[in-house]
Amino acid sequence: MTSKEWKSQGLMIPIFDKKIFTIDAGDSKDCLVILHGYATSSFDYYKVLPELSKHYRVIIHDLIGFGLSDKLENQYFTIMDQVEYTLELWKIMGLEKVTILAHDYGDAIAKEIISRKNAGFINLDIKKLILFNVTVPINFNEFVDIQNILTNDVSKKMSAMMASIAIFKKNIKEMFFDKTKITDEELTEMWYLFECNNGRDTINFISNYISERKIFWFKWNKALEESKLKIHLIWGKQDPLATENIAESLSEVLTNNKVCWIENSGHFPMLETPKEWTDCIIIE
Amino acid sequence: MTAENWKDKGKFYSIANKEIFVIDEGNSTQTIVILHGYPTTSYDYYRILPILSKHYRVIIHDHIGFGFSDKPDSLTYSLIEQADFALQLWNQLKLKEVSILAHDYGTAVAKEILSRKNHNLIPIKINKIFLCNSSMRLEHLHLRYMDKLLKDRKLGKFVARLTSYSYKKIKQKIKNNLNPQTHDNYDINKVWNELESTDGKKEIHLLSSFINERYTFWHRWTNALKNAEIPIKIFWEKSDPVGIKEIAIVMASESQNENIEWIENSRHYSLVENPTNWLELVFNFNKSRPS
Repeated sequence: MTSKEWKSQGLMIPIFDKKIFTIDAGDSKDCLVILHGYATSSFDYYKVLPELSKHYRVIIHDLIGFGLSDKLENQYFTIMDQVEYTLELWKIMGLEKVTILAHDYGDAIAKEIISRKNAGFINLDIKKLILFNVTVPINFNEFVDIQNILTNDVSKKMSAMMASIAIFKKNIKEMFFDKTKITDEELTEMWYLFECNNGRDTINFISNYISERKIFWFKWNKALEESKLKIHLIWGKQDPLATENIAESLSEVLTNNKVCWIENSGHFPMLETPKEWTDCIIIE
Repeated sequence: MTAENWKDKGKFYSIANKEIFVIDEGNSTQTIVILHGYPTTSYDYYRILPILSKHYRVIIHDHIGFGFSDKPDSLTYSLIEQADFALQLWNQLKLKEVSILAHDYGTAVAKEILSRKNHNLIPIKINKIFLCNSSMRLEHLHLRYMDKLLKDRKLGKFVARLTSYSYKKIKQKIKNNLNPQTHDNYDINKVWNELESTDGKKEIHLLSSFINERYTFWHRWTNALKNAEIPIKIFWEKSDPVGIKEIAIVMASESQNENIEWIENSRHYSLVENPTNWLELVFNFNKSRPS
């Protein structure tokens, strides 16, 4: 699958002043909306889409600043903005009841949506929340520790990774348990999707996104803890970024949850072990 | 009016399991909701309330962490959370149509609310927004050393407790913001008492984290102003030690939104010192009906 073919499967939907690339597949009444991770795009899901769309109507959009959606120059697009554009997109598509699936950066968007749901600000009916390989633990002390690594290491790494195609490929590859599971062609497509329309500018703001996580630390974890939603965790066990411990501590704190472990898989289980990952979602 | 009298005038509402202190006066069909400044409380408005409530139903709440409202430990006190509390309160009061009046810290909360309004997420109709002394441009804001220390999450806690960012400091801070010629020994005692009540002192460093947020949400909030479809009046002062004139000039050159009207408070009318003049300036009660 090339990014061109992927593009032809989706639609550009205007939301306020931006255009959002959206995949809408399957005709089930059960709707699954996917929030992708940082620096990648909806393309992460090309391997699992055919199977998922047999069971769900699957909606994946490229978050603003990523993939084929509009990108911004010299502007930071906050998580709050992502949330509001996402909600408007879902409203325009007529979604009333959804299962939310979030990966990595997408978890912040999901948590803010849950927080607003708890506060009674939105009408959207949420059936279930599925989180997989998210990088933020529930314990604040752990977070403070990681924080230093995050600001120094990850942001540096992220910025470096965007600096050139070679470093980008190397860093994405490192997130895999079995490095042979991702081909060079796939990495080239991922790079293209990241880099098109001046995408590299987005990365300048990674420190803002980390500071938002810090500001909303309590707000977002409280939202998860207070929510009565079913929360389902899916975890590639050998993720160097979102480690096993994060899943374990999440599972201890959240009341209504279950964990589905995926062995021999890293940060991108939907690309590395698509069958196992899809099974975790379909088998309830 | 003592702080105790003020407390008796108000009511407590439970929002997200926290107690919020709310003043609700006047029977007009027009409602105005007020978002107070930092680090004071709803008490700032006691002098104008009798006049304002003839024209409006006036609703003022103490932001969470301020005044008589709860000051819980497990809250970051972000401006976004202040907006969440305000919106939940207004929903609970079943308000359908409001105007918003906001002062400094409150203007950021108002801008967050405006962002959500622009994104079709607020069912309440907003007629007009009044922003007073909005210190938007951080490049022009020179934080004092103590403010910088307080803003540090880890250090701030100790700084607030150990040193005397206390009665004296607050007094000085408020004094600096008032015109020294007309300023008498006003109600600083009362402001301080409120700050001290319900563990206010403990929280002041957390409450200062909003300074970081102004950087993070800079684009979001300027865009909110640029895209606003609601009439907005911005009041600014040349001599305001917090929001100096550059702030206003830069902002004026940046926003080309015709819904925004700039009004210079050239005579330095303030809420506390010249309540009637200030009200006239902001609301023009004699010249036109408030809208």
